[in-house]
Amino acid sequence: MKRVLGVSLGSSQRDHTVQVSMLGEEIELSRKGTDGDLGRAEQLIREHDGQVDAIGLGGIDVYFFARGERYVVRDGLRLMEAARVTPAVDGSGIKDTLERDTVQYLLHQTELLRPTTRVLMVSAVDRFGMAEAFVEIGCPIVFGDLIFSAGMPYPITTLDELADIARRILPEMAKMPFTMLYPTGKEQEKEGASERFQEYYDAADVIAGDWHFIRKYLPSRIDGKWILTNTTTAKDIAELRQRGATHVVTTTPEMAGRSFGTNVIEAMIVALSGKRPEELGHEGYAQWLRRLAFEPRIENLQGGSAS
Amino acid sequence: MTHATPEDLYAALDHFRAKVNENQRLRQMNRDWNRDIAVVAKDLPDVQAWIRMRAGDMEWERQRCDDPHIVLTAPAEVLIGIFEGERTPTEPYLDGSLTLRGSQEDVLRLDFVSLMIWGE
Repeated sequence: MKRVLGVSLGSSQRDHTVQVSMLGEEIELSRKGTDGDLGRAEQLIREHDGQVDAIGLGGIDVYFFARGERYVVRDGLRLMEAARVTPAVDGSGIKDTLERDTVQYLLHQTELLRPTTRVLMVSAVDRFGMAEAFVEIGCPIVFGDLIFSAGMPYPITTLDELADIARRILPEMAKMPFTMLYPTGKEQEKEGASERFQEYYDAADVIAGDWHFIRKYLPSRIDGKWILTNTTTAKDIAELRQRGATHVVTTTPEMAGRSFGTNVIEAMIVALSGKRPEELGHEGYAQWLRRLAFEPRIENLQGGSAS
Repeated sequence: MTHATPEDLYAALDHFRAKVNENQRLRQMNRDWNRDIAVVAKDLPDVQAWIRMRAGDMEWERQRCDDPHIVLTAPAEVLIGIFEGERTPTEPYLDGSLTLRGSQEDVLRLDFVSLMIWGE
């Protein structure tokens, strides 16, 4: 049996292990959160290096992207380099393909997305492919990178401006402790509603991007809106239902009742292929994703007809 | 190396104020950010500097700030380098020569301000 370990800076309350069968291969997928403790994450990776087939790095990015530029996140790289034998990946190898495909799927296979759909993308530099896909189909869009990471009430509305701001800020910001840029550990478990930045949620039809950023300033009511995100728990889904969201779409499939981050899915592909990530490359990942034939998971939260 | 003087630091603060206030995009980004920032030069104990951010405008005074939201402490050379745009705050922050006391969001935002200015 192949073994894949996801090491996350996120909350340990989301830990789980499942066994799945993919393309005739049995795989154990395990996720371990370290509650924001980078040192513990590094230690876990060292302990499992050479013991598992691939390691996914969750709750942290190793790379940010904007318009062809790649920015290396210092803390993310530190974790990646802790694995000397086992390949370690952060999900960025498949995000570009998987998330572009998800936007196209929603446009062509559902009633949810139209070129007039107003999008709030809470952060785009961590999923630039999704951002580009929304722009390509013509959706009015707000990129909330400054709003959600730094609390600055500045909506970015074009990819050009996003790339410009990224070029000024990210080379330095990527050196800062990742916990300053992104909610980790206990911060991910904060409850309650926020009125701060509600205007940006109100002005959108779909809230897209990283779940923990979406959750950071989630207002008490988001009636009629739908969510496009990565991984959610049953508790997250119940909360969105209670606040009036119509649908939740997750880009990664549910496996044995749990959804996993792109980092674990990418690690699973690395384990299945038996290749190093650099050997797989963009096209290699795309081929494996086609073979696995993942479709986004769409959950209708308010009953009625499925879209 | 010559030691920085209070006048060097004041000139750097003037320069920083001009750059902040002429940047229309930055003013818009900071329109909700009203903060008092105390600047402490470790090697110039008699120097007092109080930066006031108000609705996107920056002003500063040669005065002690008694109840600051953020305290910026570093050797004068480091502070001057940051305010003149000759260095980013990231490296001195990471190597401990610059300390920033305040909420994490305010500290991050101050970093964004300096990076937005000097990336122009």
